[in-house]
Amino acid sequence: MNEKALNIRQICFLFAAVLPVTRMLVYPATLSFHAKNDLVLSAFISFAAEFAVISLLLLLAKKTDLTFFELLQNTFGKFIARAVYFLFSLYFLFSALLPVLEQRGFILQVFYENVPSFLSFIPFVAVCLYACTKGLRSIGRVADLSMPVFAVCIPVLLLLAVPEADFTALLPVGATGAGNIFRSAAESMNWFSGAAYMLLFLGNFRYEKKSSVKILSAYAIGAAIVLFFLAVFYGIFSDISILQQNALAHISKYATAFTSLGRIDLLFVFALSLVLLFALCIPLQLSTHCAAQAFSIKPAFPAAAISVLVLLFILFFNQAYLEIQTLMTQKLWYVFAFFALLLPALALLLRKKEREKPNIAVNSGKKE
Amino acid sequence: MEKKDEKRPLLSDAEKNIQSLKEILSAQDILVYRFETADKKLCAAVYADGITDKELLGELAARPLAQANAPKTRREAEKLLLFPELKEADDAETAAFEILSGNPALLIDGIEGAIILGTKKVALRAVMEPQTAITVKGPREGFIEDVKTNMSLIRRRFKTPNLQFEMLTVGKQSGTAVCVAYLKGIADESLVKKVCERIQETEIDGVPDSSYIAQFLTDRPHSVFKQAGTTEKPDILCAKMLEGRIGILVDGSPIALTLPYMLAEDFQSAQDYFVSPVRATFSRILRLLAVLVAVFLPAMYVAAQLFRLQLLPFGLLMTISGGIRGIPLSPSLEMFFLLIVLEVLIEASIRMPKYVALALSVIGALVLGDTAVKAGLVSSPAIIIIALSGISAYTVPDLTGTVSVIRMAYLVAAGSIGIYGVILLTGLLAYYLVSSDSWGTPLLAPFSPLIRQDLRDSVYKADLFSLRKRPQVFEPKNRTRLRKKNAAQEEKEKS
Repeated sequence: MNEKALNIRQICFLFAAVLPVTRMLVYPATLSFHAKNDLVLSAFISFAAEFAVISLLLLLAKKTDLTFFELLQNTFGKFIARAVYFLFSLYFLFSALLPVLEQRGFILQVFYENVPSFLSFIPFVAVCLYACTKGLRSIGRVADLSMPVFAVCIPVLLLLAVPEADFTALLPVGATGAGNIFRSAAESMNWFSGAAYMLLFLGNFRYEKKSSVKILSAYAIGAAIVLFFLAVFYGIFSDISILQQNALAHISKYATAFTSLGRIDLLFVFALSLVLLFALCIPLQLSTHCAAQAFSIKPAFPAAAISVLVLLFILFFNQAYLEIQTLMTQKLWYVFAFFALLLPALALLLRKKEREKPNIAVNSGKKE
Repeated sequence: MEKKDEKRPLLSDAEKNIQSLKEILSAQDILVYRFETADKKLCAAVYADGITDKELLGELAARPLAQANAPKTRREAEKLLLFPELKEADDAETAAFEILSGNPALLIDGIEGAIILGTKKVALRAVMEPQTAITVKGPREGFIEDVKTNMSLIRRRFKTPNLQFEMLTVGKQSGTAVCVAYLKGIADESLVKKVCERIQETEIDGVPDSSYIAQFLTDRPHSVFKQAGTTEKPDILCAKMLEGRIGILVDGSPIALTLPYMLAEDFQSAQDYFVSPVRATFSRILRLLAVLVAVFLPAMYVAAQLFRLQLLPFGLLMTISGGIRGIPLSPSLEMFFLLIVLEVLIEASIRMPKYVALALSVIGALVLGDTAVKAGLVSSPAIIIIALSGISAYTVPDLTGTVSVIRMAYLVAAGSIGIYGVILLTGLLAYYLVSSDSWGTPLLAPFSPLIRQDLRDSVYKADLFSLRKRPQVFEPKNRTRLRKKNAAQEEKEKS
């Protein structure tokens, strides 16, 4: 039995199917604010940066089977390792806040018009709390469940949307200017925590032959889907893209508006909302994981504390999405860049221990 | 029977031994049959009336002893008896336990201890097709309440020394025989050991059914999801044992347990293996969709009405709005009321005598359904939704209990916060299920964690020759279950 919490395939699914959904809500509209028709270029820069850091982390995973905590401990000692994990716990909590608020708008727009949003957050936090107590293993397992949902729903939504898109809206390429494109990429760092996730996964999966190729290919596929989604999104909404805050819910609405079937696309959006729920739980789960490691306690305690903090945050900032978004994307983007790109890249410098020889009897494809 | 630590030895005085046994077994159905050998030595058979074959006892035990001189030792006595099944008991407690199991204790003056005669005779029903697992194609035998008969049904299908039975006795008062069956070299023997230990860990008065043992074996006793598989058919149990599972038979219960259990196995039917793979796959997809309809349809109907009317096509929306006009109850309350009525009807139809079944269906379907709609208490769409959901749940009979509870939970979620509630509850269930396992096997395998090879016999059913390997999830020692002899081998054999 594989004692590791995750396996390569689950990480692939995470990058190819779970994380892309988080980049299909407010991210497209935010990108189009500065990057306008060059939003695909801007997103490409973000993806390329994250891809590069994940490549470095996979290089590290190839060399050692230690976890990030153990690597820190080897290099700096236990105290520093705990301190860094505590900081990462705060980072993951922080990085979860904007998507949680993002979800509020999505729920209001897609699910109902007549229920106070705060009421919907309480059960959401309850689900998060439960998920946080289930550890890293559950992240991989729900990724397994998410893949078929994503694989069915995204093509349907894109197929419904593509005929409505005018791709000439994306031309001329580069007209927005390099400054705006890069600025837009920097300000969207909040949506790119994938490398930080990978950092925490170190040592929690068994590195096998061609693991790097598989994970990076999965990442590339996920990125390509998001880029295509952005292109279709801008092709449909063009100059009014910035107003389409919940791209996922809007992208196929014109295709179904005049059919006698009703908004069948909403069924696929609902299904993707499940994947979105899993994706939103990941930073909170990782925050719990880090806090539990930092304080050497059971995950239930930090899970409860984190859930309460999220609930309080929602209580106080429920109506202040724009202010929070401005703060996180325009003012604090470097915090995200530091934790999601710089620190994971620097992890390559940590003192490693030689990889143990793999046990031939262990079948990599077996259950966890 | 309660076993005490101190045991009374059975000495050479037959009369005193009878006394010792009568002290332990004071019930009136415990009888003593006294007779003498040719040289006038006292012999006695102590037995429980009703569960012992008296004819066999007289013919094969009393007659040879009465016609011969008294044997000096137990060996000599056993030579006189023509029984294939003989055991010995040195103390009164062991002998008493055997007597209560239907095996008489033979006491002979001058010989220490007792000889236990295997003449158990219990009234049994015939081996017949189980009511809950009727198939069009395939074997029709079903387990009965006798563990020995059930063991023989398995043994008949496995003519191999690898078939092992671990016999346990559970229940302080009932002394119920529990049999753990497995195939050596295929099943995980450490799992067998753990299961036996877990069963024996629990001290209980009686075990009326295998569901008690299932509860001993679960780590999540409050879960709405099963933790052990169940079957009433020996062919299914044998097929599961061939995959690497272990079977548990309980005396007095026609339902065998199988471990480890996966949720996907409830969507499989024995018949799937006797029809074409395409047909089997189609049936499995149908069952899966039916369960999804059973669980989600009432909730989605309520959520769509309360919160998201856009979801419904315009024509359907018009029909529904016509149907629900004037209904005094809110959609969620209406659906909740109808679900309760459905559950009551199901409960009543299970327990009522068969001769009133027709009357009850008339009352249930016509009076309650039709009249309630005409009276304007409930809407026709709601009745259709509930009927569809109720019927769909029975496409997977092993999951009906779980579906009923979850359906209700979804209805509450949908009635409170709409489709988002449905999604949140699905998320919660997903986290619950992905973190659940049955004796080390993930409940959602082979879907989560995804085990590619095992997908060949999940919702999709591959042809027989594609199922060469046993399910990887059980990590069996011997992986191969099907191999085609190659041409070279065949030629070699021919020559």
